[in-house]
Amino acid sequence: MRYDSVTDIIGDTPLVRIDEAVHGLRNIDLYAKMELFNPFGSVKDRAAWNMVRHRLAGAADRGDTVVELSSGNTAKALAVIAGMHGLTFRSVTNRMRIPEVKDLLLLLGAQIDELPGRSECLDPADTDDPLTRMYHTVSAAGGGYLHTDQYFNDLNVEAHLRGTGPEIIADLDGRAPDYFIACVGTAGSSTGVARVLRRHDPNVTVVGLVAGKSDFIPGIRNLDEVHEVGLFDPEVYDTIEAVSSDEAIDGLLTLVRRCGTLAGPTGGGAYQGAVRYLRGVDAGLTERRTAVFIVCDRVESYMSYLRERRPELFRQPARAHSVRTLTGDELAAARTVDVAGAQEWIEKEQPLIVDLRSPFAYRALHLDGSVNIVDDLFEEMLRGGLPFSRRRPVLLVCPVGEKSARYAALLTRMGHPDARSLSGGVIAWRDAGAELVRD
Amino acid sequence: MAPYLQPRVDGDLRSILDSHDTLHRMLDTLGSPLNLVLPDRLAANVRDFETTLRAYDLGGTVYFAHKANRSSALVRALATTGAGIDVASLGELQHALGAGIGPGRIMATGPKSREFLWLAARTGVTVGADSVPELAELAGIVAAHGLPRVRVMARLSGFASTGTTVLSRASRFGVPVSALDPLWTVLDKHREQLDFHGAAYHLDTNGIPEKAAALEGCLEAMAEAQRRGFGPRAVDVGGGFGVNYLADSREWEAWTTELTGAVLGQRPPITWDGHGYGLRNEGGRLRGALAVYPAYRAVAGPAYLDRLLATASTAHRRPLGALVLDNLYDLHLEPGRALLDQCGAVLTRVEEVRDGLVRVAANSNDVALEAHGVLMDPILVPRGEPRPDDGPVEVFLAGNLCLEADLITRRRVLLPRPPRAGDLLVFANTAGYLMDFSAGSALMQPTARTVAAWRHGGDWRWCLDERYWPVTGREETG
Ligand SMILES: Cc1ncc(COP(=O)(O)O)c(C=O)c1O
Ligand SMILES: Cc1ncc(COP(=O)(O)O)c(C=O)c1O
Repeated sequence: MRYDSVTDIIGDTPLVRIDEAVHGLRNIDLYAKMELFNPFGSVKDRAAWNMVRHRLAGAADRGDTVVELSSGNTAKALAVIAGMHGLTFRSVTNRMRIPEVKDLLLLLGAQIDELPGRSECLDPADTDDPLTRMYHTVSAAGGGYLHTDQYFNDLNVEAHLRGTGPEIIADLDGRAPDYFIACVGTAGSSTGVARVLRRHDPNVTVVGLVAGKSDFIPGIRNLDEVHEVGLFDPEVYDTIEAVSSDEAIDGLLTLVRRCGTLAGPTGGGAYQGAVRYLRGVDAGLTERRTAVFIVCDRVESYMSYLRERRPELFRQPARAHSVRTLTGDELAAARTVDVAGAQEWIEKEQPLIVDLRSPFAYRALHLDGSVNIVDDLFEEMLRGGLPFSRRRPVLLVCPVGEKSARYAALLTRMGHPDARSLSGGVIAWRDAGAELVRD
Repeated sequence: MAPYLQPRVDGDLRSILDSHDTLHRMLDTLGSPLNLVLPDRLAANVRDFETTLRAYDLGGTVYFAHKANRSSALVRALATTGAGIDVASLGELQHALGAGIGPGRIMATGPKSREFLWLAARTGVTVGADSVPELAELAGIVAAHGLPRVRVMARLSGFASTGTTVLSRASRFGVPVSALDPLWTVLDKHREQLDFHGAAYHLDTNGIPEKAAALEGCLEAMAEAQRRGFGPRAVDVGGGFGVNYLADSREWEAWTTELTGAVLGQRPPITWDGHGYGLRNEGGRLRGALAVYPAYRAVAGPAYLDRLLATASTAHRRPLGALVLDNLYDLHLEPGRALLDQCGAVLTRVEEVRDGLVRVAANSNDVALEAHGVLMDPILVPRGEPRPDDGPVEVFLAGNLCLEADLITRRRVLLPRPPRAGDLLVFANTAGYLMDFSAGSALMQPTARTVAAWRHGGDWRWCLDERYWPVTGREETG
């Protein structure tokens, strides 16, 4: 297959059947619409491209900045497209909550503006919230912005009216599925697809999935927030149901472990929400039915989201030589030396002085002649064994003598004969009037 | 019916609010409205913040932001702890000194008059300066009056962020970090008068990323101070740790959902005149933003401090708490609202009940729920014999001023049963800003007296706020 531009690859994604042995529905064929195969990784590639493609030429001439309220996939797609066309992209967001996406956007050259938190000492007369203000700035004509406005832009829906929806019908041999299940973010994909399917067959059941109120699933809205979405029309859906982040992760695990589908949380949520809904109808069916759900994007960007919620999935082998495994006896036996003792010892035996504080603090002030190995790095080094000779005595220092005592105990356990901790740490050293230098 | 928003009430506050006879006796003696404060709880809250600091091995002082409450009893109780006090006016400084808090534990912040600066310098309190001209003026006063060298902290503002741009509300206060040269110049020029103790910020936000960027900015400024030969010792992270006002997150979620529905016209209004608290209906879409205090907060007070200190510095990839400690700095803080969590209540008497409206003998300046956007229900304390339980009622709460706008809250509140004249409505957990911050005497209506209450064995003792001293009655128990 040959293409002139990567944007030509957007769309035409496969529809893949989920094995009955996995979903357990007896009378329903369940298909996944694999939006994760879009070139920039998600269903939002379609909307992003459709919202900007006719406006790119003029924007490039004027040097406009593409701007969108997004902290996820729309931002990613727009950043790539803007880059391809010599434009800058600015993403305005409430909070960048997914660090991998944030890093990727920075890598793509995007500028990210995070809106401020809520006022702690409230002025209730001030209803001019930062988001509204931002909206006015970027929407003004001639302001130098190409604002894609995904939550209100009909071109977002149109991308799916012309692409996603008809593709599903074509792949089902010209028939609409009986059930269509999708997560709702801007509502663009679900609205576009639902309209096409209903036009084809008014009996299609459309299920919209949102997050619970205090829950968070990246990419979709919660039960209240969905009302802020300009494209959201309650009439589109036969039912709106909440899906929890827990269910989304369960679904994600099923898709990635059993279906060869590396789906992100909303793909998982759509799968789990679909099976939950369909299980209710399956039992009463006498003939075969078809259902389609959307897998919006890929799992790789959500490692920290998953680690935070399911740390047990990332079970790591116990570490050798870790301060966390020290016993109370080992800690109590750690050798310490007070400021006066340390001064004398340094004079006589010149121990290696290791300062465990951050380089930033070390640069400002430290004990003369010390080397700086910040504690996490030191712990990492010790996993491989003693990083210095047993014949050289070692004085460990940290701010208050807590961490250094633990490392002295660990070095002792590892066979070092003379590792000591400065008791009271650099603070005691400073307070005793002993010399601190900066190089 | 719109959902309850039941206040979170625990410990001593719960216990005294359950002592209905005590509450009625207080009100019968001193009239409505009446402020109640619990000085011992303040001391306990101080300890909780200190415990969080110690968990990071950090030294530093908890300075109570006096502005949040005028009570003498609270300040005198504070004097018995290791905490300090943040005073923002000449009057507050005098009050703190008079309560027995030593100058070494006082920090003067906010806009300052010359008199305020003089008394601060004269007594040797730390001055948290808002600007370079303020430092110059202070140095002038110190030099002209031959006063001892004053310990100063410089409030900074306009912090930059790394990676993403963290937008922040503009502040009128503080020296912009992008232009610190004039600060170094004034500190250098007046080394005889000014002893530079460190950098400070106070941000009016509950956003951790903004505060993390500010703390990091202060540390950078202090590293610069080190390079310039100053010896800064402490960083001050200001206030704004927040309070969780509600007992149950689900009530908050349910209520905000109902409000959304009401604004969109999907259900009847649940506020006076359909007030949207910042939300608007534009062609069936929800616009605007909810302009109220987030009454339910999962992370507030000491836990919020913990969250901030555990946040990794983006530049140094190390938790901010560890970074402060690595630099051997103390960490000062100035919580107001958070230190007063569970420290008091405003008691009001029901005057009249009619047509879904309950009028109390107090007004919206006495119970400043609306002014500070805090939404929660009062607690009904009935008078006399138990009555048959008629079930919950929805009412609006009106105040004692002849103004249409004088509603204690524009929410329609749900009470567990119909109130009657003579019952009390108690606004719990209002010691921080909601009690006497804006109280005046409009219409010559009485302003609230304040009583301080403390436990004495199994009983409650109480006295007028101005008569409370930490010695009152306690020796008898020894
Ligand atoms: C990961 C993910 N899933 C689902 C959606 C929802 O798609 P739509 O915006 O078309 O409703 C989005 C949209 O932002 C998304 O980023
Ligand atoms: C400088 C300063 N410090 C501390 C505070 C106290 O803030 P809070 O009560 O939110 O903790 C304030 C409040 O306005 C302030 O201006």
